[in-house]
Amino acid sequence: MYRMQDEVTLLRASLQGETAAWGEIVTRYKDAVFGLCLGFLRNRADAEDITHDAFLRAYVNLRRYRLDKRFSTWVFTIAANLCRNRLRYRRNHPVFELENDSGGGTDPAREVAKEERHVRVREALERLPYAYRAPLVLRFYNDLSYREIGDILGIPEGTVKTRIHRGKAMLKEQLGEERDPS
Amino acid sequence: MNTDPLEMLLRDTLREDASASAGRLDGLEQRIVAELGERSPRLGWVEALRQLVAPTRAARLGQVAVVAATAAAFLIVGAIVGRDFLSGAPSGTPRVESRETMLRSGAENELLFVLPALNAENVAVVGSFNDWEPSPLSDEDGDGIWTARVSVPPGRYEYAFVIDGRWWGQDPLADEYVRSFGEYSSVRYVGGGGDGV
Repeated sequence: MYRMQDEVTLLRASLQGETAAWGEIVTRYKDAVFGLCLGFLRNRADAEDITHDAFLRAYVNLRRYRLDKRFSTWVFTIAANLCRNRLRYRRNHPVFELENDSGGGTDPAREVAKEERHVRVREALERLPYAYRAPLVLRFYNDLSYREIGDILGIPEGTVKTRIHRGKAMLKEQLGEERDPS
Repeated sequence: MNTDPLEMLLRDTLREDASASAGRLDGLEQRIVAELGERSPRLGWVEALRQLVAPTRAARLGQVAVVAATAAAFLIVGAIVGRDFLSGAPSGTPRVESRETMLRSGAENELLFVLPALNAENVAVVGSFNDWEPSPLSDEDGDGIWTARVSVPPGRYEYAFVIDGRWWGQDPLADEYVRSFGEYSSVRYVGGGGDGV
């Protein structure tokens, strides 16, 4: 029923309490929100939990959403805040981090080499402090502008640029170190 | 077209991680819709007040008159009682009144925390404004009312008190409460901020 509707129509219907319209919003944004959470948290179960909570919380607080902002930015902000809370909780309640399985499949030599690179990037991302990892995820997974990233994380645009630059340098350093341990 | 190999590798890895776990999201929308049930988005305070007072325009007009008359009556009675009370009162102002005055005196970009904790040894506030690191409240006159002022930019702030090491998340002066991981936290809005959650 709502599949062909535009976003504003869906949001208006959701405001009227039509939860099916909100279901369609969830369908459209769940991958982006989950990818953000997974990138931030590096743990699948937590990312799934937070994605679920983010959509519930966004619905309950939908009247706070202002139409002059992109909806995606608003819902990403909610997810990012929940991720930050979960990371804080995880400091005292640690769990195993994202395991390095990319889904299996056949293993021709090229695939193996590619997967090795991904494993190294995953490990480097996990070691990266949250302050640098979060902007990298928003930039390279969610394809957001520096300004949008600043809005979501509550930091100035200049700081976003610095953190992305510095985060990339740290990643490069770690990946280089692994390649050449001397 | 982006050709930075590190950026491409990063993008690739993040996307692969997400798509490898995509199955976890199957049916998420149905679960959320079921959980929401008949629930509607929470009303803003203006709308909530309007619905509470009267759902229709005609009823509203009638009730506005009643509310205005009641308020006027209270003001008159309050003025008379207040004048008599103040003229006979000793030099110390009642504690509750002083607390109200303090609350109103807060600058727009200032969070004022006031918490009665009669037998407490240590009271602190932790929140999103101090990265959840404890900031102490003080009770200099030893009357059991602990206070602290924190200057903040406009926005939405989550916080909780820590009384002798125990979490106290429901400040009666909060604008709202949130609950995560089994604990309540309080929320205040400063200077009209608050589109984040």
